[in-house]
Amino acid sequence: MNDKLRIKKLYALSSENKKFSFSLPLKDKIRIGRRDYAVQLRDDEKLGTYILWKNRKYPVEIVRSRQNKYEILFNDISYTFTVETPFSLQRMKVLSSGKGKKEQESLRAPMPGKIIDVLVREGSTVTRGEPVVILEAMKMQNEIQSPVNGIVKSVIAKSNTNVMKDDVLVEIKVE
Amino acid sequence: MGKGAGKEAWEYAIINVQRLKGAKAQRKKNMKIKKILIANRGEIAIRIMKTARLMKISTVVIKTKLEPSAMYLSFADEVYDNTEDTSEIPVFLDIEKLISIAIETKSNAVHPGYGFLSENPYFAQKCLENKIIFIGPSPDALYKMGNKTIARRLALKNGIPMATGSEGNISNEEEASKIADKIGYPVIIKAASGGGGRGMRIVRKAEEMEKMFIIASKEAEKAFNDPSVFIEKYIENPKHIEFQILGDIKGNVIHLGERECSIQRKHQKLLEEAPSCALDSSLRKKMGKMAVQIAKAVNYYSAGTVEFLLDSDRNFYFMEMNTRIQVEHPVTEMVTGIDLIEQQIRIANGEALKFKQEDIKFKGWAIECRINAENVQSGFAPDPGKIEKLNMPSNHYIRIDTGVQAGSTIVASFDSMIAKLIVSGKDRKEAIKNCKMALDKVWIKGTKTTLPFFRMLVRNQKFQDGTFTTSFIEKDLAKYYFNSEYEEMLAAWLATKLFVEENLEEGSIAVDFTNGKEMSPWLLNKRINQF
Repeated sequence: MNDKLRIKKLYALSSENKKFSFSLPLKDKIRIGRRDYAVQLRDDEKLGTYILWKNRKYPVEIVRSRQNKYEILFNDISYTFTVETPFSLQRMKVLSSGKGKKEQESLRAPMPGKIIDVLVREGSTVTRGEPVVILEAMKMQNEIQSPVNGIVKSVIAKSNTNVMKDDVLVEIKVE
Repeated sequence: MGKGAGKEAWEYAIINVQRLKGAKAQRKKNMKIKKILIANRGEIAIRIMKTARLMKISTVVIKTKLEPSAMYLSFADEVYDNTEDTSEIPVFLDIEKLISIAIETKSNAVHPGYGFLSENPYFAQKCLENKIIFIGPSPDALYKMGNKTIARRLALKNGIPMATGSEGNISNEEEASKIADKIGYPVIIKAASGGGGRGMRIVRKAEEMEKMFIIASKEAEKAFNDPSVFIEKYIENPKHIEFQILGDIKGNVIHLGERECSIQRKHQKLLEEAPSCALDSSLRKKMGKMAVQIAKAVNYYSAGTVEFLLDSDRNFYFMEMNTRIQVEHPVTEMVTGIDLIEQQIRIANGEALKFKQEDIKFKGWAIECRINAENVQSGFAPDPGKIEKLNMPSNHYIRIDTGVQAGSTIVASFDSMIAKLIVSGKDRKEAIKNCKMALDKVWIKGTKTTLPFFRMLVRNQKFQDGTFTTSFIEKDLAKYYFNSEYEEMLAAWLATKLFVEENLEEGSIAVDFTNGKEMSPWLLNKRINQF
């Protein structure tokens, strides 16, 4: 507990592993070069929540947040960060150095829709970027591609059935 | 009609439509069309009603269970309530039902808009049989141009340049391989009844032919109820150039210049402009003449679009003719000053065209951005949902065509369009500059949108130079969105701020904080909405 009270910094790590560090207590100012610029979080009826920065308003929204993980829509672009303390960052580094890569990948529906075609079978070899399932949503056929090289472990998706967002379509054993 | 974005959007659009030549003309005594049933929804339904209102023609729209509080409903003189309909197919695709609604509401004309039944010859025929004026071309023209194989034959007969390909439909993969060997790879397999990019497959190697032929044919059958396909030489990296044409029932046909639609992804157009910087006046004249010629070959009347591919050596090839008003029609309206919906209505009313080819003058440049509820960071996947906030910029060079307002929902069953942002300028450079400014002022919350894509596009050198082709998005772009230098950092600051607020609640991190010991109402609200 005493350790936590002494936290002087927080780190926001982007999904591309960019690290942004902020001193605590968190200020409504960000230093660029030698100057501090005010950053303000505001809210009004017409615009909703926005950030005011250098005389410009940027729309902001939380897409999702879970524990220390935040997906934020900033000026219509989505960013995902995990916020770490110096302690948790250190622990993460230790853990990740001992751990191998992910062994299994669950391919999920990125949007609700209808399965038009399943292009793989159990045991099929897939390469990264290879279309695995054709999902129709909003009159568009979308190829859902394998994010990894591997072997199809199980096929959950069935042609001509509807799926919800985040439903598992195919499970792939990472090679 | 409440206050807010919708009303504002309506106001700009009225101003814009009024700026168009002739639209302020009131209904003449000989106007047979008294009441139009709009067999469509969304922005195009509103667009049609704006002109109808100026022409003093009443309108009827259909209220559906999927969108019982859609914005287009508030623009009509009359709303037909179809929310009790239990039919599997949407009413906008149900010919029998639409005819019976037209009869019941005493509508003596139907405007099909785009998509749905707009290019369906049986629907046009049924209207005719029931003495309802179909605001569009004849069933015969719809049929001939709708069948790509017949359209190809017609084009061939009329000396319209075309990519070499099969004479007619191809019945099996052996025949396909034989023809492809003759014309040389790459080739493209297309569905005879196709459109919108479905049922199309590019084949680059002979080994792929068998597999691709089966896929294309299967896809065609599923999508269009017709498995027939044909083969064409595939033109690598062309520009997509289309000509707007207008024809009347007396046989006069003119063109209103071209639209540049090369900014597309998987054959879905994202941005269109008029004119195209790839054409000079002599090429425009040549292509325009061909467009008129193909339209005349089917005795075409109403508004229509002839699509061409233009290669880097300025050779052009007829692709297909779209026999409807198109999504991107506003850019042509902006540079010609002609209200295309008004022309469609007048032509359907039996009037002759008031303009000759030499009367058509082009002024300035116009760009249309299709702002869709799509996630550009994840392959333009649709992102349906409720539009929480919607604020559109207003200026003399901006026109907004939209069917949604704050509080509207983009439903997964229909297309993902939120709004069309149409921007003009005296030349292309100014139009791009105006577009850039306008894009920064569009404010939409609730769903992810294609805005970041357009913000990137207007800053892209190749786009500014005008040298892009239809493969631009797939090949020339490393990143599909634009963010300025500090945006990610500001987002990181916000994530950190949230973390601080939430964890303070548990007292696990001691930081200064000003909002009292409660979760911020904003955050609380967001949390509640999440579940």
